Amino acid sequence: MASATYPYIGFPIAVSQVYPQGMVAYRPVARATITASTGKSARWLVLLDSGADACLFPLSMAKMLGLDVTKLPRALTLGVGSQSNVTWYDTVTIDLGQEIKFSAYVGFSEAVERIGTGLLGQSGFFERYRVEFLLSQKLFTVDSSL
Amino acid sequence: MAAALTDLAALLEGIPAGAWVAISETLNKVLAHGPDAQVVLRQAQEQGENLPLIVRVPDQNAAMFV
Repeated sequence: MASATYPYIGFPIAVSQVYPQGMVAYRPVARATITASTGKSARWLVLLDSGADACLFPLSMAKMLGLDVTKLPRALTLGVGSQSNVTWYDTVTIDLGQEIKFSAYVGFSEAVERIGTGLLGQSGFFERYRVEFLLSQKLFTVDSSL
Repeated sequence: MAAALTDLAALLEGIPAGAWVAISETLNKVLAHGPDAQVVLRQAQEQGENLPLIVRVPDQNAAMFV
């Protein structure tokens, strides 16, 4: 069993009519090492997103990992405010550090390209781990003892 | 052991919205940034950082994430 605590990471939010001074959005984001079947790895931020059905990464990452998406199975993905996007799937290893390491069948899509972070969703992540969000302390914990 | 990285706002200050950024976690500094993630990765690797942390500066037109 493993239990790990990570800090929320603050993201800058640009000045707008809604936030005239700008703001910092604190998100439950961890730094992860993603390793593909090609043997290549990439270091990326991953957002714990309980509203996502599955784990999803920007298509840019697939290229960094040396994956040929034309050879991967694909399906459409739909998100808030976005049209459906083609998403290609493969199994990767995700290492969050502190002994939280697992394999998951994840998607690679243009849908999250603008967000830039990966998403850890229900299938692949939340099905394996119990997560506690402590925004007031800017900490979240991931526990493998379900 | 990677250095603490809990607030990207200061680290990403001045970098254009939408840009990809390669960060050295040991030095806690930006190594490269630009519009193409793969180019940014290569530029960081040319500086000796084999596995930099890749992040993207939030897009000004879609800054909030829901």
